[in-house]
Amino acid sequence: MAFIEIRNLFKRFKNVVAVNHVDLEVNQGEMLTLLGPSGCGKTTTLRCIAGLENPEEGDIVIDGRPMLSEGFVQPSKRGIGMVFQNYAVWPHMKVYNNIVYGLKIQKIPRQSIQKRAQEVLGLVGLSGLEDRYPAQLSGGQQQRVALARALVGNPKVLLLDEPLSNLDAKLREKMRFEIKSLVRRMGITSVYVTHDQAEAMVISDRVAVMESGDVVQIGTPQQIYKKPANRFVADFIGTMNFMAGEVVQVLEDTDSAYVRTEFSEKLLCNTSGISATKPGEKVYASIRPEDVEVFTEPPEVQENLFKGTIVHKAYLGNFLYFFVSINDTMIRVQVPHHLPQEEGQDLYVFLNPEKCVVLF
Amino acid sequence: MSRGNIFLAALLWSIIAFLVIYPLSILVVESFKIAGTENWGISNYLEFFQDTYYLRTFGNTLVLSSLVLITTTLFGVPLAYILARYRHWGKTVFTALILLPIVLPAYAGVFAFVIFFGKYGTVNLLLMDTGLIKTPINFIYGLHGLVFVQSLHMLPFIVLGLSAGFTNIDPCFEEAAEVEGASGFWRFLTVTLPLCTPSYLAGAVIVFLWPFTDWLTPLILGQVDFLPSVSYINIAYHFTDMHRKYMGIVAVVISSTVCLTLFLLARWWVERKKYTGLSKGTTSEGRVIEPTPLVKWGAYLYIFFIAFLVLLIPIVLGLAAFSRRWVLEPFPTYWTLENFRLILLESPLLIKNSFIFSGIALIFGIGFGLPASYLIVRTRVPGRNALDFVITLMLAFPGMAVGVSYLLAFWKDIPLATYWIIMPLALFARRLPYFLRMAHSSYLQLDISLEEASEVSGAGKLRTFLNISLPLLVKGVLVGVVMFFIMAFQEISTAIFLYRGGWETLPIGIFLNWHRGMEFGIAAAMAFLMIVITFILLLIISRIGGGILKAAWGPGGT
Repeated sequence: MAFIEIRNLFKRFKNVVAVNHVDLEVNQGEMLTLLGPSGCGKTTTLRCIAGLENPEEGDIVIDGRPMLSEGFVQPSKRGIGMVFQNYAVWPHMKVYNNIVYGLKIQKIPRQSIQKRAQEVLGLVGLSGLEDRYPAQLSGGQQQRVALARALVGNPKVLLLDEPLSNLDAKLREKMRFEIKSLVRRMGITSVYVTHDQAEAMVISDRVAVMESGDVVQIGTPQQIYKKPANRFVADFIGTMNFMAGEVVQVLEDTDSAYVRTEFSEKLLCNTSGISATKPGEKVYASIRPEDVEVFTEPPEVQENLFKGTIVHKAYLGNFLYFFVSINDTMIRVQVPHHLPQEEGQDLYVFLNPEKCVVLF
Repeated sequence: MSRGNIFLAALLWSIIAFLVIYPLSILVVESFKIAGTENWGISNYLEFFQDTYYLRTFGNTLVLSSLVLITTTLFGVPLAYILARYRHWGKTVFTALILLPIVLPAYAGVFAFVIFFGKYGTVNLLLMDTGLIKTPINFIYGLHGLVFVQSLHMLPFIVLGLSAGFTNIDPCFEEAAEVEGASGFWRFLTVTLPLCTPSYLAGAVIVFLWPFTDWLTPLILGQVDFLPSVSYINIAYHFTDMHRKYMGIVAVVISSTVCLTLFLLARWWVERKKYTGLSKGTTSEGRVIEPTPLVKWGAYLYIFFIAFLVLLIPIVLGLAAFSRRWVLEPFPTYWTLENFRLILLESPLLIKNSFIFSGIALIFGIGFGLPASYLIVRTRVPGRNALDFVITLMLAFPGMAVGVSYLLAFWKDIPLATYWIIMPLALFARRLPYFLRMAHSSYLQLDISLEEASEVSGAGKLRTFLNISLPLLVKGVLVGVVMFFIMAFQEISTAIFLYRGGWETLPIGIFLNWHRGMEFGIAAAMAFLMIVITFILLLIISRIGGGILKAAWGPGGT
């Protein structure tokens, strides 16, 4: 049985459904990320786990204890730690008092409070700053105070609501790894909310992608990237070329299908990641820019090879980026090496049938 | 939604029902009673709108309101512009001076100007001494004087709204107009001013309604044919003439209706047309202009002039307070502390009453206001918006309506008006919005995640409120507390109907001493004392810091 179980969770605000019958499981010691665009219900789901929202239906079980079905458990009684988007560090309390607030409420002896506080301050790298007021700290330091406060009580579950979104880009990247290693070392089960796909990829054991109140796909970062469940996931995580078309023939034994697109009568695509499809179905033949191969001279392969014209070319340091037009269909291409061709010249484009997938 | 919140809401609603809704509905009911009979009907209202005298009174009030609004606007727009946009020396001091009338009781202003501009007041005597004029000029008695006194009192409401508007407009709007080729004055007329209309209107409606509430200024200036003064005379002087009393009540109900309607219309309109929030990235100072020397000196002269008029109030009252027999002389010649000796020896009760009544009202105010703002901002209890609405409406209600309705409602069946507690209760009901607004707006600024973080850390609702919310709210709440106290301390319109022998407050003492005519110095000394107390309280607020005078939005005065 999973450590956190969310069953059939449903929450709406007036007429807007924020969380639409969601089921989720988080295993012990795992870091699960809820990823999605703003308004997809990820923060509401997190706040339901925290007890800051009271959902209309469903149940949340934490470590075997139901939070809703046997009476609403107040946030203060759930044994959670939470890091808020704007840190919510209390401006009228010194760093030390911010951190030990929860411990004092639990009436823990003074000495153990002090010891525990020093440990946590050391963990987050704030030793020596305990007598400062939050206004005397940088944004990154306030962030660490919020983290320390959430961790100090050894919570069963750590909830993080876009904790890095207010930091500048450099610091954000550094903190991703810090949080990940800290949480992993302490072995706390945690749920992390973000709209930043790169952050989700770095920090998570598993990612749950949400769209309009539904969980669309759950999996490891690799699974989500390599085998997106649908067009939305593929578009939200990384960049993908979508070529609208219609299935003309399904080749069951090889898990592939021929798709008719605007520039090709028969484009061979991989169907292994999706449920069964049949001829006549409207689909998107999809391929990531880095999976497109380009040649200056025609290669030996015949299948899925097209001639295209370079419309835009950009040099981005570690790779080249092209917009190539194949009969007016624009394909984005990313190649890691130099090519002499300029805008207006022709290229051979190979859409590898293994990597060109069918999505709905 | 917890049971506790619902219980709290029910409790607050029953207080509102008892102290606001019940008395005000009695007021309306009484206005339909027909004198000398047991009957009911609309005949009082019919008479009001057919009788030429009452109609003229109504018309006079409308005219006065319009004149006051026009005057304050004409003087206020340049004043607000100078204060908001020009970088000049003494900005804070002048802003404070010009906004001062908000916290000075209106009657203090009238007394000062009567002494200074009266028929044989300082200005006339000086002019006659120099031989410029033979007979005194009537500066103050009459409609023009009334417009002058009321305009000066209400000017801050226009200036406050507009200068906030001028400061808060994103500079890019004006810069865009500048790039498009609109220059100077044209840009001001087509872009700046229209963008400020919502903040102007919020102040303008309060200004316009003032003549519908202020009964005392016309009375002192010998102009009684205005709605509130007529109501006062009909009710206070003719309490035994049932018909006149009912007609007075009708007049109160009509002024209240005008006030409520315009207040609600303005509120609705302002809500619809808020521009200032359109874009981010304004500096706290807004767009600041460095004027040419000529314009700068003109501007200085102008704000000096207005500030001088405002300063006249405490100065003249001070002169009168420290002197005796100041008659037919431009300035007093006989200096004494006699007035203060008389006040402190013979009527310390007034000062004591004022502090006790306002203090008790304040305790009620905090006890009601804090839970109310919690309910309104932080919970989803049904009816919380209605609660906010009803309390805000009290801002628009004339003080006289509260006073008269308390007298009618708490006399026979619930004889509360025979106990002194009626005084603080009435002050509490009348001044409640001042405290609630402040508590409310500081609550809105308090990030809810600060409270949520406490709950997640294991604290219950009450503990969170005491440990987190209250310490963070305390600044705003304290400003609200002091504002509430100042306003309760100066209150006269409600108290004048409710006081009995032994319950007189300082404002009532001022009025009575003035009324008796001879004890003019004592009235001035009392008014001066009141101003000093107000100043001390204001100093406390400015120590607490932040948005001092903004706290005072809403109709101030008597």
